[in-house]
Amino acid sequence: MEIKKLLFVTKFDELRFDALQSLLGLRNAALEHVVFLYVIERDKVAMRRGKGYGKMEELRLKEKANIRFIDWAENLFEQGMEVGGYIVVGGFVQHVVSSCEKEAADLIVIGPPRKGKIEQIYAGSDITEIVRRTQKPLLVYRNPSQKGEVPESPFSRPLLVMDWSPAGERAVAYLKGLNKIVEELNVIHVNDEKDLKGSTVTELQMLRKETRKKLDDICDSLVDAGVNAKPHVYIGDAVNEAEKATEECRATMIIVPTSGKSSWKERFIGSTAGTLAEKSAFPVLIIPDPS
Amino acid sequence: MPKKVLVVDDDPDVRLINRTIIEENGYTALIAEDGEQGLQIIKKESPDLVLLDVLMPKQSGLRLYSQLKTNKSFQKIPVVILSGIAKRTFLRSQKALVEFGGNEVPEPEIYLEKPVESDELGKVLRDLLG
Repeated sequence: MEIKKLLFVTKFDELRFDALQSLLGLRNAALEHVVFLYVIERDKVAMRRGKGYGKMEELRLKEKANIRFIDWAENLFEQGMEVGGYIVVGGFVQHVVSSCEKEAADLIVIGPPRKGKIEQIYAGSDITEIVRRTQKPLLVYRNPSQKGEVPESPFSRPLLVMDWSPAGERAVAYLKGLNKIVEELNVIHVNDEKDLKGSTVTELQMLRKETRKKLDDICDSLVDAGVNAKPHVYIGDAVNEAEKATEECRATMIIVPTSGKSSWKERFIGSTAGTLAEKSAFPVLIIPDPS
Repeated sequence: MPKKVLVVDDDPDVRLINRTIIEENGYTALIAEDGEQGLQIIKKESPDLVLLDVLMPKQSGLRLYSQLKTNKSFQKIPVVILSGIAKRTFLRSQKALVEFGGNEVPEPEIYLEKPVESDELGKVLRDLLG
């Protein structure tokens, strides 16, 4: 699996050109085309009593975005990259999905979500919806640096939260294709503490041994593909442990597989991928189930 | 038979304005929304001139220009670049493409940076097409 084309979805204040620059290391792993997308949300230009539809405001916002895109594109064109862009008015998810389809993008990059919990319960999470509808890997980008400096490549030292699902297998295949840019990969599996209530010490040790064996096999296959991978076993809540592991391993990004299904249960409780994408201080790459 | 001018631009307002200028000067306007569509129309219609934007979805004007100028069937079609991207960037980007394995191409016949007055564009069309 290669990342040849990247869809960079920005609102400018949360995802800027320095974020895109930190992803340009992907050029060593086949990236050749970047497509910008800016969605002007309808309520910004919607009909107002006594004023009508905000056509002038729409044109102003479009031109403002166009000026930024031209500046970014000039920089990328001069590096020999192919660049395109969309500036559209309408629903955020709808335009991300349609642009991704039109461009056949291999990776979508978006900024941190802004919907509140109540809004998510009723309207659903944008992240879950995009993943479900596109089935494409989605990078929720954050700059973990507090100083505002350009972050290093998120793909240099990722952490994979491995489960044994088809999406997990897809994530492993994805990482093998990134062997030229991944310097160190930490692969963890979190055994849920709730499932271990009443277990004896021996049972816990057996579980650790089994988990570790599976992780070793995965890491061996990654090492064979040229990725420096290290296994780790954790016990506890998947979201908390993944955050902890990211800090312990000094990882630059969390990669998490997901079934990509949006259920009512997920809306209320949240999936591991969704919760990490919403709350983590690190960039989170969600890899959906290929089916 | 009026000469054909192909407009390749993703902005519907620019397409509309350019179409009007082309038709007012007595030429036929052909329209494409991106580089991919532009190439299809060039293959089908063999226009007499191409008015080309640079930053577009699917395929940029930069790549389409390279394709045209390295293809014997199309390299004689004059191309006017009409873009917000600066000429300096366009030329440097063409050099970068060559460094990444592309072929060298000549500079575009005319390079106009947006916005352009309709009189100026009309004059360019008449100078190139007669």
